[in-house]
Amino acid sequence: MLQIKNLNTYYSSIAILRHLSLHVRQGEIVCLIGANGAGKTTLLRTISGLVPSSQGEILYQGKGLLGLAPDVIVKMGIGHSPEGRQVFAPLTVMENLELGAYHRFGRAEKPEIQGDFERVFQLFPRLYERRRQIAGTLSGGEQQMLAIGRAFMARPKLLLLDEPSLGLAPKLVEGIFQAIITLNQEEGLTILIVEQNARRVLEMSHRGYVLETGRIVLQGSARDLRDDPDVQRAYLGKDYAQVAER
Amino acid sequence: MNTIEYTPLNELLQLQVELLQSTLNRVYNRVPSYRKAMDALKCTPEAVTSLADLARLPFTTREDLTANYPYGQFAVPLRDIIRLHTLSCGVSNPIVMGYTKQDVAHRQGLTCRFLSASGVTADDIVQICLDPGMAFLAQELKEAAEAMGALVIPPEPMAVQERLRILADFKTSTLITFSSYLQYLFAELAESGMHLANLSLKRVVLLDEHLDMDAREEMEREFAVDILCGHGILEAVGPVMAYECEKRNGLHLAMDHLIAEVVHPATGAVLPSGEKGELVITTLTTKANPLIRFRTGELTRILAEPCVCGRTTWRMEPVYERTDGLVQVRGLNISLDQVEAFVRHGLARLSRGQVSKAVPHVMAVRKERFLERLELWIAITDEFFAGSLPLLHDWLREMEMDFEDAFGLACRMRPVELCTLQPYLNQGLRVVYL
Repeated sequence: MLQIKNLNTYYSSIAILRHLSLHVRQGEIVCLIGANGAGKTTLLRTISGLVPSSQGEILYQGKGLLGLAPDVIVKMGIGHSPEGRQVFAPLTVMENLELGAYHRFGRAEKPEIQGDFERVFQLFPRLYERRRQIAGTLSGGEQQMLAIGRAFMARPKLLLLDEPSLGLAPKLVEGIFQAIITLNQEEGLTILIVEQNARRVLEMSHRGYVLETGRIVLQGSARDLRDDPDVQRAYLGKDYAQVAER
Repeated sequence: MNTIEYTPLNELLQLQVELLQSTLNRVYNRVPSYRKAMDALKCTPEAVTSLADLARLPFTTREDLTANYPYGQFAVPLRDIIRLHTLSCGVSNPIVMGYTKQDVAHRQGLTCRFLSASGVTADDIVQICLDPGMAFLAQELKEAAEAMGALVIPPEPMAVQERLRILADFKTSTLITFSSYLQYLFAELAESGMHLANLSLKRVVLLDEHLDMDAREEMEREFAVDILCGHGILEAVGPVMAYECEKRNGLHLAMDHLIAEVVHPATGAVLPSGEKGELVITTLTTKANPLIRFRTGELTRILAEPCVCGRTTWRMEPVYERTDGLVQVRGLNISLDQVEAFVRHGLARLSRGQVSKAVPHVMAVRKERFLERLELWIAITDEFFAGSLPLLHDWLREMEMDFEDAFGLACRMRPVELCTLQPYLNQGLRVVYL
């Protein structure tokens, strides 16, 4: 569904992504793990067209994405739930969700959009309770639900999720991850997820890539990565003393 | 059915680029010898953006692997390695191969894929007949067949009659062995007068492809079995890296685990698919001991057009010739350079001094009832030996024992006159087939 070949992305003259290649198949949950500054967020932003990339190729369903405007990319079926939620704070929950479906107004049938509202509220009942509340007054977890819900309202085929568990209480994190699994399994949504909670995200993903300073150093099935000693040392918090050199 | 074998080729090629890039990122940072070789060619991992760029990377040879003995080739800390093998087909030091837990799992997965492409299922009774020198392959085949749920009869040193008895009484349905042993076993079987109706044997899986198609078909008719081959090298990815499907149009390469190229043996230039040259492989999933453009010394062709069986993976032709001084005997690789070093060392012991000049010797591979048996003809001149015959006799027995220890195969030592060897030496022959 998504194929990236030799992508290079720069912030001014500094290379953030270097010859990065990856692919996501239809129906998969693929995760990207890596330390801060490895380039995970930049990769998602490059796919969405928010950061211009100077070299390489991004193919989505066989069509090139590089150089396209973000709104065109959204219309092609790629949703993006950004890091730090970035909900429209002065607007209500309902208005935020409506904005998610903005490009569908006039094109989609009203009942269809209505159905999607219901689906979002079914996934996140808390949002239904707060549908008239100003988004800026929601808790962090609720804002995250709203950000995912808003991305879903665009009816994407591929959803990019950036750090959905960032700054959330463990209990809320579990709810968010469950919702992501539901979106994948029931809605057939393909998901590319960046996450710092490597342990949890590797449990729910099919495959994963490990990013180090803009380069992919490891990839494989989520189970392979979970069992990989390098990943365990660097991202799963296994104490180095326990796995020290022989 | 393994889905990766049927993945559309463009997806497989994208997967190969991804795996190649991450492998290069790892080896460049972690294996000093690779880094040095890549820096020398001014080729960093970033320079590789497609499979065509592979040609810019340096080759790796068996000598490189021995030069970094024991742990210099490892791309992971020793703590992550759970299994070590030494391969004595090198020149001076042996080659040390390490495997992480994941490497072992990948090897097993690939072995299972090979066995199932050969038709083996959980319902089979699998008998493995391999020489002790191939013990580690036998072990991996045994583990894979067991993981598939098959009943496995692992190899144990025993006489051929005993093996035939097991074949009949234990109702073996799949036999795993190598070509010459199969010929030997079947010849014994025909002679024993055993009724073929008593056998449950359905297929034979060979770990080499030295049996030509005509001989194979004749055996298949006579013994009512299917004979399928796999091909592997000891340094990479598992007992086999390519295997035949039921159509037998060449051997399907495990493209998710390695990239295969064919290069000109002398110039090293990459040859287009379909041309014959030396097989060069790059491993993609190996974590402990990744190989970058490893020269296998085997001559073959790569067939890129799709196979009628529906598998999308490229195929390679069976290997009948080599470019290097390796001789394959009963599935084992024996380095002629190492044999020379062995003889030199032995003669030094005999003459109680250093042996610096050439040591005239010829290796003879004698086929006795299809099974290869080795002989080493060594010219014993006055220069090396002036003692009594019993002393020489003891030395020869000692050499035979040492040879078996070093190469994993029995070899008869024959002292000869220099003039006996001269005709062979004049022709530059180091090995003769009788």
